Amino acid sequence: MKAESVTSHRGGMWAWLFQRITAVLLIVCLAIHLVFTHIVGIGDISYDTIGDRLAHAGFIAVDIILLAAGTFHALNGLRMVLMDYWFTSRKRALALTVVLWVVGLAALVYGIWALWPWIS
Amino acid sequence: MAEITFRVKRQDPQDKKNPEAHWEDYKITYEGNLTVLEGLFYIQEKYDGSLAFRYCCRASVCGSCAMYIDGAYRLACQTNVKHLDSAGSPDPVVTVAPMPHLPLVKDLVCDMTDFFAKYEYIMPWLIRKSPDPEKELLQSPKDRKKLDMPIDCILCGCCYSSCPSVWGEENYLGPAALLKAYRFEVDSRDEARKDRLSRWDNERGVYRCHTIMNCVEACPKELVPTEGIQWLKRAAIRRRLFGRLK
Ligand code: SF4
Ligand code: SF4
Ligand code: FES
Repeated sequence: MKAESVTSHRGGMWAWLFQRITAVLLIVCLAIHLVFTHIVGIGDISYDTIGDRLAHAGFIAVDIILLAAGTFHALNGLRMVLMDYWFTSRKRALALTVVLWVVGLAALVYGIWALWPWIS
Repeated sequence: MAEITFRVKRQDPQDKKNPEAHWEDYKITYEGNLTVLEGLFYIQEKYDGSLAFRYCCRASVCGSCAMYIDGAYRLACQTNVKHLDSAGSPDPVVTVAPMPHLPLVKDLVCDMTDFFAKYEYIMPWLIRKSPDPEKELLQSPKDRKKLDMPIDCILCGCCYSSCPSVWGEENYLGPAALLKAYRFEVDSRDEARKDRLSRWDNERGVYRCHTIMNCVEACPKELVPTEGIQWLKRAAIRRRLFGRLK
């Protein structure tokens, strides 16, 4: 082991912190989502009823937070796993992070685009 | 007189004729109690003087004799064969192997170079910047208590050998070095928190620990490296976000 090889990996605190924050957000938003989908919002789940629900700004917000938190949590989890295997060097880890950010942002944009009719 | 068989994993990577690992059985007779380390001495004296293993204190304080005994991490000098699971059978066989996942030097001796390089990297000594006081450096009993757990580490390497994050990433500092970083982080007398921070606050430091807790299970001193590592993660946030640095 060379000393430089440890510090060549800078940062990590934000990823770690957001993994915790998104975990809490996921628990809260998933609970809201499930309660309103399966318990309170009883009745048939159809395009129209869901459309009615999405007319509330609160639901849009919950859905977007759910999407963003879920995407970050999942992709960062995947990143941690992959970094234990092939993506160990500074270069590979950085490339992996960039690719996952692109994938995550694309997913986020796509999700918001799908919700756009109710947002605007 | 009691009898027990030691099944020892032997390997000499330098032996051109037989560099592969293989198991060898040795019968040991003893009276009263027998530690695994005593059994190894017996083998060395009676059967094969070339058997290689490390030891020094024979009192579980130096950390040299860590091995994989009967399927678990143990100190050879601390392990009474009577307390092993296999001891209960009528014809007991105890397996003795080197710590897994470490480069091997010979037989039961592992190469600890990386382990100690990482240990040294986190600067495991007390660093003072302010001038020395007239007399001794005082520490309150409450502050001293914080050192109770991490100070008991004997650097045996069991935790390090058992950590899946170390297996995956050879540059990960590992539980022992990070526990030592924690030991100085909570020491009220130390004044080098800023210097050490960048050494462990990265993804080859604390964030590589996925709290798998193998280290806790492996530690023959029953220490909890994960507790120290999690404490460091929280400390990084306190320091980087709220600027609490001494
Ligand atoms: S808790 Fe952390 S340091 Fe301990 S074995 Fe697991 S990953 Fe390694
Ligand atoms: S923490 Fe425990 S297992 Fe790890 S080196 Fe120290 S004494 Fe050995
Ligand atoms: S010989 Fe020192 S710990 Fe076993």
